[in-house]
Amino acid sequence: MLEILTVIAIVAFCGIFLYTGSTLSGAEFVGSDAVGSELIAKISGTPVENFQPLISQWRPPSAEIESCLFALQAAVGGILVGGVFGFWLGQKKKA
Amino acid sequence: MHIMEGFLPWQWCLVWWIAAIPCLLLGIYQLKRVLASDREALPLLGVTGGFVFILSSLKLPSVTGSCSHPTGTGLSAISFGPWITAVVCAIVLLFQSLFLAHGGLSVLGANIVSMGVVGPLMGYSVYRLLRNTSVNIYITVFLVTALADMFTYVTTSLELALAYPAETGGYISSFILFLGIFAVTQVPLAIVEGIVLALVFKYIVALKPDILIRLNIFSKEQIDSARDEIS
Repeated sequence: MLEILTVIAIVAFCGIFLYTGSTLSGAEFVGSDAVGSELIAKISGTPVENFQPLISQWRPPSAEIESCLFALQAAVGGILVGGVFGFWLGQKKKA
Repeated sequence: MHIMEGFLPWQWCLVWWIAAIPCLLLGIYQLKRVLASDREALPLLGVTGGFVFILSSLKLPSVTGSCSHPTGTGLSAISFGPWITAVVCAIVLLFQSLFLAHGGLSVLGANIVSMGVVGPLMGYSVYRLLRNTSVNIYITVFLVTALADMFTYVTTSLELALAYPAETGGYISSFILFLGIFAVTQVPLAIVEGIVLALVFKYIVALKPDILIRLNIFSKEQIDSARDEIS
């Protein structure tokens, strides 16, 4: 029941994405963080480039490196979740 | 929900850091106590924390034509409360600040308050409100997760509105403008996240019901009736 609902929700979500992606003009699917930063620039009347980091930070040199690090983050989570579910399944089988 | 490094005046960075630190200290204290009293809590912490790692790395497209990510904090808020959840979020946000240039060290306090404190706290309040009612536990998990997600973004909007009031209309109109970006984008994501984590919770109930009862997350009767529904 809950499984079916989850599949429906995910399929509907993909459907909405395909629909907005093809009909909404100017849908570039950039991060909302970036859109938020643009609004800050607009409200404060200071161009985005003028916002300099208060504490200097390392930036991933390319989108590839960034996606690699994001995948790494998700992998750590996946290992945790999968590992524990397997551990619980083993405990249950043993009991 | 990340406020980017440099986009918050230092005074506000300080305010949110001051707000975040006591929550983190309380979280670390509670974490030590929970893990010392029950070693079986560690795997549950692994699962709930794992979902924060996974979901906060998924940038998903939304109806506004921009992308945002779910927070995954709902399960942790239900299982361990908002303060331990704040510690888990702080780890993820620190990673993203240091290696991904998402957020930054000066704005980390503000980001911890939105994703790790206010969102989970709202979710946790809803859980406390619904726990002793006859509401189905999966519906509770759905609502908690979706609201923890939504309120994270509402808080980000509030933090930015406080720092950047609009010239006409001040704080309120600025708040509405930021909500238009963050909260509206988040609505479909929060709903999907709620359903997915309700399903995950169903598997936890199926595999390890005793830990949920022992940590007093739901009563034995609630877990038993939820298990009956599964089988």
